[in-house]
Amino acid sequence: MAEAARKPAEYGADSIKVLKGLEAVRKRPGMYIGDTDDGSGLHHMVYEVVDNGIDEALAGHATAVTVKIHADSSVSVRDNGRGIPVDIHEGEGVSAAEVIMTQLHAGGKFNNTDEGGNAYKVSGGLHGVGVSVVNALSEWLELTVWRDETEYRARFEHGECVEHVREIGPAPGMRGTEVRFLASAKTNIPEGTFSNLDYSFKTLENRLRELAFLNSGVRIIVEDARPAEPLHTELFYEGGVREYVKYLDRSKSSIMAEPIYMIGERNGMTVEVAMWWNDSYNEMVLPFTNNIPQRDGGTHLAGFRGALTRTINGYAQATGIAKKEKIDFTGDDAREGLTCVLSVKVPDPKFSSQTKDKLVSSEVRPAVENLVNEKLSEWFEENPSQAKVIVGKIIEAAMAREAARKARELTRRKTALDVASLPGKLADCQERDPAKSEIFLVEGDSAGGSAKQGRSRSNQAVLPLKGKILNVERARFDRMLASQEIGTLITALGTGIGRDEFDIKKLRYHKVVIMTDADVDGAHIRTLILTFFFRQMPELIEGGYLYIAQPPLYKVARGKSEVYIKDQAGLEDYLIDMGLDGAILRLGNGEELAGEDLRRVINGARQFRRVLESFPTNYPRNLLEQAALAGAFDPGQADADLQAVADTVAVRLNLIAAEYEKGWAGRITQDHGIRLSRILRGVEELRTLDGAVLRSGEARRLSSISRETRDSFRDPAKLVRKDREQLVYGPTDLLKSILAEGEKGLTLQRYKGLGEMNPEQLWETTLDPEARTLLQVKVDDLAEADDIFTKLMGDVVEPRRDFIQQNALNVENLDF
Amino acid sequence: MTCPICKKPTDAKYRPFCSRRCADVDLGRWLTESYVIPAAEGEEETPAEGDDDGGLPRS
Repeated sequence: MAEAARKPAEYGADSIKVLKGLEAVRKRPGMYIGDTDDGSGLHHMVYEVVDNGIDEALAGHATAVTVKIHADSSVSVRDNGRGIPVDIHEGEGVSAAEVIMTQLHAGGKFNNTDEGGNAYKVSGGLHGVGVSVVNALSEWLELTVWRDETEYRARFEHGECVEHVREIGPAPGMRGTEVRFLASAKTNIPEGTFSNLDYSFKTLENRLRELAFLNSGVRIIVEDARPAEPLHTELFYEGGVREYVKYLDRSKSSIMAEPIYMIGERNGMTVEVAMWWNDSYNEMVLPFTNNIPQRDGGTHLAGFRGALTRTINGYAQATGIAKKEKIDFTGDDAREGLTCVLSVKVPDPKFSSQTKDKLVSSEVRPAVENLVNEKLSEWFEENPSQAKVIVGKIIEAAMAREAARKARELTRRKTALDVASLPGKLADCQERDPAKSEIFLVEGDSAGGSAKQGRSRSNQAVLPLKGKILNVERARFDRMLASQEIGTLITALGTGIGRDEFDIKKLRYHKVVIMTDADVDGAHIRTLILTFFFRQMPELIEGGYLYIAQPPLYKVARGKSEVYIKDQAGLEDYLIDMGLDGAILRLGNGEELAGEDLRRVINGARQFRRVLESFPTNYPRNLLEQAALAGAFDPGQADADLQAVADTVAVRLNLIAAEYEKGWAGRITQDHGIRLSRILRGVEELRTLDGAVLRSGEARRLSSISRETRDSFRDPAKLVRKDREQLVYGPTDLLKSILAEGEKGLTLQRYKGLGEMNPEQLWETTLDPEARTLLQVKVDDLAEADDIFTKLMGDVVEPRRDFIQQNALNVENLDF
Repeated sequence: MTCPICKKPTDAKYRPFCSRRCADVDLGRWLTESYVIPAAEGEEETPAEGDDDGGLPRS
C-alpha cells in the first residue's frame, strides 16, 4: 500500500502520541465502549456519535439528527448543525475535525472559534469518551462537513487519517456534519473488535426515542436500509418528558388528565420532572443524568423521593385529610402507581461505576429535593381537586397495606379462649364439633345478657355486639361496628380475615345467627353485620352458615294462654282466627257464609286492602273501594263509556248511603275522569277520580283481584253474631269488624327490643331449636346484594333509611 | 355485578370486589370504623351486669 505517501507531511511526534491513545482503546475496547460481544458496545458506537448531534441541537444549532443503518452494516449519523470546524487547530497543527476524530477525550468540549469558551455547557456523550473511540474501533470512518456553503470530507481507517480534510466542492444551503463508519468486526478482519455487526433496529429506536423525549424539540430520524422493505421512523416530541410519561403509560389508565411538570435550575444544575399516577400498583421512576439512564437510581432519585413523600405528607396534614382517614402513609404508598421521568443535567456527574447505573454526586440530591419540594407544593395548592384524587389514591394504598397487616395480626391471634376471657364478650359453648355448634350475635349488652342466661350452653355460644354510636354533628347520629367488636367477631368465628388468611374450614360454628331487635335500629345493625359478611366472608353465606333469628314482635294473652307472634301479619292471622269464631256473613242475596267460607272472603278482603293501600294517598279510600265494587276500574270501561262509569259509581254510592243522604250524580271531567256530587243540607259535596287514576296500574290490579269480593258485596251484606248484627258495605268494613272482635278480651304486648324478654322467654321463642324460626341468608342474586351495599353506605340519609326498613336481604325460611 | 369500592366488574376470585386491592381497602374501612349508618338519636346501650357466662343445661 502507498500509505506512507498519503500521510500528511506534518505528521509528527504529537500525532504518534495520539495513535498510542487510540491503540489503548483498541486493546481494551470494553473499558471505553462496553461489551463487544453482546451487542451493547456496538450500539454504543452509534449513540456516541448521535450524542454529538444532540449536543449541537441542544445548543440551538441543529434541529434534526438522522441515523441510518446502511446495507453494508455501516452506520451514518447526520445533523444539520454548524458542521465541525475544518480550519487548522492551533495546538495540534491539523484541522479541528481531525483532532476530534483522533484524540481521546477531545470530543464535546473543543474551543469554538466562532463563539469562544466551551461550546457545550453539559456534555452528553454516553461514555464521554468522544467520537475518537468510535473512530478507533472502526474499520473505516468517513467524515463529511457542510460549512460555509462548502462540502468537506476526510477519511480514517482504524483510527488513522488516510485522507485529510479537503474541499469537495460548493454546497449551497447545506450545513451540518455526517459521520459514517463501519465498525471493525471479527467477521470482516481477524483483528476486528466486535463479534458481529448485527445492529438491532428496535434497540436503536428505543434508545433514540428516549433521547427524543429527553431533548424536546429535536427530531431524530431512524432508517434501516438492510431489509428489502427499508424501515423509517421519525421521533419528535415537543412535549418532552411529559410526553415520555404518557408514552410509558400508554397502555395504563392515568388518574390525571396531564402529567405534573416541573423544571428549574439549582446551583448550575437543571432539574426536569414529569410525573403522574395511574391506577396500577407499580412504581416506575426513570432517572436520567445528562440523558443517560441510571438503572440503580442514585442521589437524584433519593432527592426526588424525599421531596415527594414530604410534600404529600405536608399536604395531607395541612388539609386535614390524614387526620380524617386515621391513617399514616409511607413513601411506598405515595409512589404506588407513580410514573415519573426525572432528568437532571449536571456539569460533572460522578457515577458509582463505568456503566453509570448509579449517580453518586452528592450535590444533586439537595438540588432535586429543593426544587421538587417547592414546585410540587405549588402544584398541589393550585390544583386542589386533582390533589385530592392523588392523596385519595395514596390513602387507599396505605389503607390496603394496613388492612392486610391487621388481617394477619387478627388471624394469628389464635384461640377463641382469649376472647372468652375478655369480660362481657363471647360466652362460648361446650360443644367442640362445629357442625353441632351455634353462635348468636346479639345486639346490645343487655339482650346479650338475657341470651347468655337463656341459651343452651352445651352447643349455643353468645357474642354480644354493640353498635357504636357516634355523634357526628349535633343533629345527626351515626352508628358503626367498633373495630374492636369486629376483631372479637373474627376471633370468635375462628376463620381469620383477609383474602390470604380467611379459611372457611376453620369456622367454629356452622350456624352463625344474627339476632337483633325488630325495630329500625335493629334492622340497621343487622344490615351492617350482613354487609360485613357479604364483603369480607362471602363463603360464610355461600356455605349456608349465616342465619337471622326471628324473635317475636308480639305476645298475646287471653285468659291463661300466651302466644308469641313474630310480626304484624302473624298478629292479624291470629286476630282473624279469634274474630271468625261465631261470625256469619249474610250476603244481600240471602246466602250465608261462615267458617272456612268466610275466611276465604276475609282473605280476599285483605288482598283487596293491600292493593287499595298502594294507591296514592290523595284519593279517598272509601271512594276507591266503592268505585272498584261498581266495576269502574275494569279494563277499557273508562274509555268505552265514561258517563256510564260515572253513573254506575253514583248508583253504588246511593246504594250504601242513608235514605235521606242519597242523590249522588256523576259527570265527566275535562281530564276524562269522573266527578261525583250531591247536595247535602244545602251544601254541595264533591268527590273526584281523575282520568289518571281510572286508567292506572293500581286500578287494573284492584279490578283483577276483586271479582269474588265484588260478588260478595254486590248489595250491602250483614255480619251476624249471636247477639247482634251489623251492615257491611265492603271488604274494609268486614275486615275492621272481624279484627275488632278478635281483639276482645286480649292482652297485647309489643316487644320493643330483645331486652324486654326474660331469658326464659328468649329461649322459648328464639333460641330453642324446637320452637324457633331461623331465616337462612342466601346470596342468590349478588347484584341485588351489591345494591344494598350501595344504598346503605350512600351519602343521602333518608333514602337509605327507607331502603333499610323495606329490605331484609334475600332470606328463606328454615326450621319450620 | 360491580365492585362495591371502585365499580369495576367483579372478579369471582375476590367477590364481590374487582381485586385484592379493593377487598383490602374495604377491610381497612371496617377496621378503621369508616362505615357508618344512621342511628336513632341519643340512645346508648348500658352494659349488662351480672352473669356473663350463664345458660342452662338444655337437652
